[in-house]
Amino acid sequence: MAKILIVDDSRTSRKILRGILEQNGHEIIGEAVDGQDGVLKFRELQPEVTTLDITMPIMDGLEALQVIKKDSPDANIVMVTAAGQQNKMIDAIKYGASEFVTKPFETEEILRIINKFNK
Amino acid sequence: MVNHLFGNYLVNAGIITAEQLEQAFELQKKVRVKLGLIAVAEKLMTTEQSEEVNRLQSVMDKRFGDIAVSKGYLTDEQVGRLLGLQGNPYLSFANAITESGYMTLEQFEAAFADYQKSLEFTATDMEAIKSGDSDRIIPLFLPEIDNMQLEHVLMAFRTFIRLIDSDAYIGKGSIAASAKTNGVALQSLDGDKKATLCFAGEGDALLTIANPFAKEEFETVDLDALDAVAEFINCINGMYATRVAPSLNVDMLPPSYKDGVDSIASDAMLMLPIYVKGKEVLLLSKFDGEITL
Repeated sequence: MAKILIVDDSRTSRKILRGILEQNGHEIIGEAVDGQDGVLKFRELQPEVTTLDITMPIMDGLEALQVIKKDSPDANIVMVTAAGQQNKMIDAIKYGASEFVTKPFETEEILRIINKFNK
Repeated sequence: MVNHLFGNYLVNAGIITAEQLEQAFELQKKVRVKLGLIAVAEKLMTTEQSEEVNRLQSVMDKRFGDIAVSKGYLTDEQVGRLLGLQGNPYLSFANAITESGYMTLEQFEAAFADYQKSLEFTATDMEAIKSGDSDRIIPLFLPEIDNMQLEHVLMAFRTFIRLIDSDAYIGKGSIAASAKTNGVALQSLDGDKKATLCFAGEGDALLTIANPFAKEEFETVDLDALDAVAEFINCINGMYATRVAPSLNVDMLPPSYKDGVDSIASDAMLMLPIYVKGKEVLLLSKFDGEITL
């Protein structure tokens, strides 16, 4: 079981992701609605895994990723992307993202990735 | 989709009732198309030959195809091809209508020919409709648009079928300057290609997207429901951006949505009605321009 922070501006995406993870034994310790909120919640909650949507208002996922990795280089960050954001995925790898999941969410894909941090 | 498009024609022409059409849809979901009906529809056997094989089948423990081959009505190769057609949506609908006793196969085919005349479509167009392939059907109901926009619309509908409702079907598309709605969700693409994809609909029509996508039961088109519609658009655009990625760099802007909006406008946007669960939602697509609220 991993303690997870979900950062996504879409309530729908947060709810679907929370549902998949909780039903499979993971604990959602917080949710954030944009990158700025995500950075604050990360510092406060120190999650084992953070899921970070790329396309968000105020502060996008790539910017939040850089701030979090600067604070906590060992942070496990799973970027959440719509398909079609290959360029941003490359940038996310450069900035230290651990993994990616794509929307629409596939339960098996999400669990396969989150379970990697659950050893 | 052929069952809805042609089925609505049959109802509007007074050939069957709306209730009969609904019952035929129900039957279509349950029943496998009979090989004999396909053989007659494909003009490989006569109705009399098919009925004879059916009679023999009722007293012999043999398959229709085996009996038809033994009687010399079909070859093994033809049986193989007919078996491949058993999932064909046109034939499956024909089967449901004829099995229900609403029409004979001859009447069904004659009405389909009248339907063709009413649409002023070619035989090739009608083959596309019979195929049930939305990628072949949708262009027949759209005004002329560029190929990239068409690909975007086709991808949107395929995703609609996959994630929202496999029974959805389209109406006639048009170029429109405005559309009435109750709430709206949209997302723009930037970069090498500028485009906006939007879903609108009057009353609570947008819930037909929001509820299945979010797996919730929203009762009104509020911000939470529109967020779900926006996320659905985000998925469509993501797949579209992937498709065009080898040649174009397309950036996805954050999806947006607004409740309380009662109309949307553009100088000329493509408007494609999609029918789902008795409601009409509007797919609005604008390339190289903006959609405003």
